[in-house]
Amino acid sequence: MLKGIDLEINEGEFAVFVGPSGCGKSTLLRQISGLDRPSSGRIEIDGRDVTTVGAADRGPAMVFQSYALYPHMTVRDNLAFGLQNNKMPKAEIASRIAEAARMLEIGHLMDRRPAQLSGGQRQRVAIGRAIVRDPTAFLLDEPLSNLDAELRVSMRAELAALHARLKATMIYVTHDQVEAMTLADRIVVLRGGQIEQVATPMELFNRPANRFVAGFIGAPRMNFLSIDEAAALLPASALPAAAEMVGIRPQNLRPAESGMALTVDLAEALGTETVIHGHLASGTKMIVTRAGQLPAHPGELLHFTAEPGKLHVFDAEGVRIDF
Amino acid sequence: MLVFTLFVIVPLGINIAYSTTGGTDLFLPARSYVGGDNFGRLLSCADHLTPATCRDDLFWVAVWNTVRFVLLQVVVLVIVAMATALILNSKIRARGFWRAVFFFPVLLSPVVVGLIWKWIFQRQGLLNYVLFQFGADPVNWLNDRAWAFFASVGVSVWAHVGFYALILLAGLQAIPRDIYEAAELDRTSPARVFRRITLPLLWPNLLVVIVLALIRAVQVFDEVYVLTGGGPGTSTMYLTQYIYETGFASVLRNPGVASAASLLMGGVLVVLTLVQLGLTRWRDRK
Amino acid sequence: MRLIPFLARRRGGKGWHWTDIVTWVWLAAGLVVIFGPALWLLLSSFKTPAQLAEFPLSILPYASQTALVETKGGPKQLPLFTVDLPEGGTAVMAELNRIGIMANMVRPEAPDQVLKVNIDARKPLREMAFATENYTKPLKEFDFGRYLWNSVFVTVAATLITLITNSMAAFALSKYEFRGRNSVMLIIVATLMIPLSVNLVPLYSVVSWLGLLNNLWGVILPTVATPTGVFMLRQYMLTILDELLEAARMDKASEWQIYWRIVLPLTAPALAVLAIFSVVWRWNDFLWPLIVLSRKELFTLQIGLNTFAGKLNVQWQFILAMTVVSIIPVLIVFIFLQRFTTAGIAGTGLK
Repeated sequence: MLKGIDLEINEGEFAVFVGPSGCGKSTLLRQISGLDRPSSGRIEIDGRDVTTVGAADRGPAMVFQSYALYPHMTVRDNLAFGLQNNKMPKAEIASRIAEAARMLEIGHLMDRRPAQLSGGQRQRVAIGRAIVRDPTAFLLDEPLSNLDAELRVSMRAELAALHARLKATMIYVTHDQVEAMTLADRIVVLRGGQIEQVATPMELFNRPANRFVAGFIGAPRMNFLSIDEAAALLPASALPAAAEMVGIRPQNLRPAESGMALTVDLAEALGTETVIHGHLASGTKMIVTRAGQLPAHPGELLHFTAEPGKLHVFDAEGVRIDF
Repeated sequence: MLVFTLFVIVPLGINIAYSTTGGTDLFLPARSYVGGDNFGRLLSCADHLTPATCRDDLFWVAVWNTVRFVLLQVVVLVIVAMATALILNSKIRARGFWRAVFFFPVLLSPVVVGLIWKWIFQRQGLLNYVLFQFGADPVNWLNDRAWAFFASVGVSVWAHVGFYALILLAGLQAIPRDIYEAAELDRTSPARVFRRITLPLLWPNLLVVIVLALIRAVQVFDEVYVLTGGGPGTSTMYLTQYIYETGFASVLRNPGVASAASLLMGGVLVVLTLVQLGLTRWRDRK
Repeated sequence: MRLIPFLARRRGGKGWHWTDIVTWVWLAAGLVVIFGPALWLLLSSFKTPAQLAEFPLSILPYASQTALVETKGGPKQLPLFTVDLPEGGTAVMAELNRIGIMANMVRPEAPDQVLKVNIDARKPLREMAFATENYTKPLKEFDFGRYLWNSVFVTVAATLITLITNSMAAFALSKYEFRGRNSVMLIIVATLMIPLSVNLVPLYSVVSWLGLLNNLWGVILPTVATPTGVFMLRQYMLTILDELLEAARMDKASEWQIYWRIVLPLTAPALAVLAIFSVVWRWNDFLWPLIVLSRKELFTLQIGLNTFAGKLNVQWQFILAMTVVSIIPVLIVFIFLQRFTTAGIAGTGLK
């Protein structure tokens, strides 16, 4: 499933694994947690080889996608269960739970059962269950995917704040690139069991290592053009010899008197910005977004030029060429 | 797992071992190998329809009694269960109460069922009293060959009908209400609704119920045994009672023959069960 | 009779259709045919042997009234009758003795004046009375107290063991990957197909080999391996999220703790259903205990009843009473089941 992963995550870092479904991001997280074992290779935590160590003894805590709260226990028992299994003194358990409850503002929920909680509250309890263990790292497996859109945004902010406060290592798996961009110190983009790029969000956005990353990060998607189609933006002579494909983000196209000719198919006026769907004479579809309100009508012919330095160039294998 | 092996797998092997050995000894190594003799004894008949011509006439009496019982009991059972399910599925008040009423005898033990009815079928019992009130002559229910047979069928229907009615009711309730509402808007008569909508949609469940009833009817024993003891004579002696008496109760007990008979019955049951499993799969796929 | 308008009231309030009549006839007949016999059993169980033997029958249990009369041979309890007097009118009189169709009767307050009365001209004076000795006598003097205890022991022990072993097997079969898991499932399905009546002889020999004949454990153990139970619990456990078990594993719970503290509580609804089934099955078991138990003091209630009813001189008053006793636990389960199904429906709203 996973091939040639070589990755180091730093102390206190917020690392996000992102990629399309089936890319191996959850598998990688489960192998770090110890729930699954790798067929080959080594996993080290704090310099200790834990490849053969069981999940319970590795140190990190996990927050599951379904929260996996014990439905028949109260919130308090859910938080205490793991600590009791560690034979921790009662007073210590109580103080840890109180601390976590204060931090997550779930003190009034302690005697309820999971079924009596809202989605956001369950999410907090699930995080609380990880916090009380005082883990070496937090492993979060798509923790926000079961929440509605609005709640997801606010929980995202809370997670970021929590990380800032705890300064703990967090590894976060998601398929949502917005979550990845907003939360991560570093993003690991995976595809087909392999790492495509490891970089900070801005690095990823500004200098994607290959066509896949370029297309995956950023919304709407980056436009890809052949060398001939891109000639209206930049003459082929100006491109490196190995160049095979040119990419430009929808935000980096600027209206002009002349330049690349685009026939408008559909214009979506969102108020703060306008998204124009159109096609080139060759038939290739393109998307342009401009801030503000831009009058455009289906069938109309518009011209665009590229903002300087915003073109991405890839070779025949799709690897980025800097020029 | 140990328990399973001990009480389910091992017995099957021992069953075969017994059925191919002879003698009255229960200790297996002390029994002599006789090959197919036990089966031969059970199966050899001049005329299989006339038990008196068979080497083991009791076995064939039991077989034909069971066949008659199964045919009549399953037909009556399924019809009554179907009618009950249809009525419980119609718009009636206190459906839960009525469902409970019909389910009640299912929980009773066969001994209790047998004794209740034995008491009612007494010569001076409730049933004869009711007949007497209508001016009819009393009937010696359990001492008359024909009546005893019908009594055994009737009592076992009484005891089990609630179970099948409930299964069919569940099947009926799985049919979407709006289909019936559409039929009502089309002014379909109740009889036609039953024939053209209910029956086809319920058919898979009905088949499963029929086969299940067959499987259970073939093994009929306890309530009838308590009710009639197999009598009068042998008129209500069914296969399981034959196996029980041959293997355990009679003076000249013969575990080999009992085993052989139970394997023959088991063969029939396995075929029926395979049919049932197949039907269940087929139903769940539909 | 407020019941009739209640029963006759229809949903929707439209006119009567022939199907409504069929429905109500069917339901009424069902009520009579199903509860009638049970009710008759209950009423009969309170009747004295004399009343059980009389024909025509009376519905309710009665006992003859008696009075203490000063006879020549001293005070005696004598049965009372209502007598049609020759001079007209009626009087309550006690019977001294009876010769053929004539009886010598006296008024209790005037025991010297004997009147010869034709027995057709009098009716026994009776009041409703419950012959509770039908219940107390077999429980105290015969072995029925012991049978009752045996039945309770078998039912409780078998149910507990069934729940524990079946839930463990189901846990292993639903939550662990191991080699041969599918073949084990196949075996369980296969054993579902082989009923007890086919396996009587070999099962008997296994139990006899274990030395468990004439032992209540010989009744209990073979019934514990119920493939139905394992199958049902496994289907239920499959619905428990694996993530929950993983969370527990990360919480340093041992496999035993996962089973005991996570899986078992979450399987409670299915366990309750299996427990109910098991109680009814074991309480009602007949053929197997009949074969295993031949010593009288080990009989379960069902076997005891059957043996008692098979005696030459059938004492119906005791049989009927003990039958009622044997129904009581089933009745409790029945009522519990009704509540449970309603609670079950309410419970789904909680999840």
